[in-house]
Amino acid sequence: MSTLNVSNITDGTDTVGTSYVVNGSAKAYVNFNGTGTIAVRDSFNVASLTDLGNGSHDVNLSSSFSAADYAVSGSTGGTNQSNHFNGGTNVRASAFNARVLVANVSTNDDAQVHAMAVGDLA
Amino acid sequence: MTHGHLWDRLAEAKSRLAPVQSKYRVLFEDPATPDEPAKVLVPDPNFMAAALAGNILPSIDTYQRDRLVPDGQPKEHPYAEPIGAMSEEEAVEYLVMKDIDPAVWRDYNGNRTIMKIVPVEMIPSDRSFRNAWRIAQ
Repeated sequence: MSTLNVSNITDGTDTVGTSYVVNGSAKAYVNFNGTGTIAVRDSFNVASLTDLGNGSHDVNLSSSFSAADYAVSGSTGGTNQSNHFNGGTNVRASAFNARVLVANVSTNDDAQVHAMAVGDLA
Repeated sequence: MTHGHLWDRLAEAKSRLAPVQSKYRVLFEDPATPDEPAKVLVPDPNFMAAALAGNILPSIDTYQRDRLVPDGQPKEHPYAEPIGAMSEEEAVEYLVMKDIDPAVWRDYNGNRTIMKIVPVEMIPSDRSFRNAWRIAQ
């Protein structure tokens, strides 16, 4: 593996600092089926998922963030269109909790759970 | 050549390794919350590919030492030297030590069995049964 050590990237017209690219990149993502025996469809920088119960899953990271102050976002799909994603509960440097909420009060399994995290790696 | 950051090695590995679906799941109960349903740890396919290939993941010891490092302080595992290839069983044990609280796999002194590594087909797919399930003794 080779490394390009540059401060800026340009296409000849527009220039952007590499720090913007690095800082703005998602450091981890996962797309999984949260129904039945949960299964990962695709991911990056994820070591495992922990099925904690109905609609609640921990996403355990391979390369941790520096602290538990990174940003998690996500979405859900499946057949229940009232489901929505909650990723701000129980965030740790090495893992975050991806929950699927229904009407803000209960959790629900969903066939499409997508999550990503942006921030500074350890 | 330096081995670089773990995240860079994972990115390079994802570009060349096919994901590997593990045939194992880890079923465990948290002794701190005995009323909650049993939890299921699912290995990530890209993690399994990296573990089986070798020279990507750091030693599990580095993760365990990093558990004690406060947020914001430098952690050891991202820059630690990668270890060699693991078998699937070794990779699952690695995940147990990395992603399950030591209170479950190391410090529990009770008489009940609270953790089992099982083939995936032993996990009930129906949530209503799984929530009522306890690890058979």
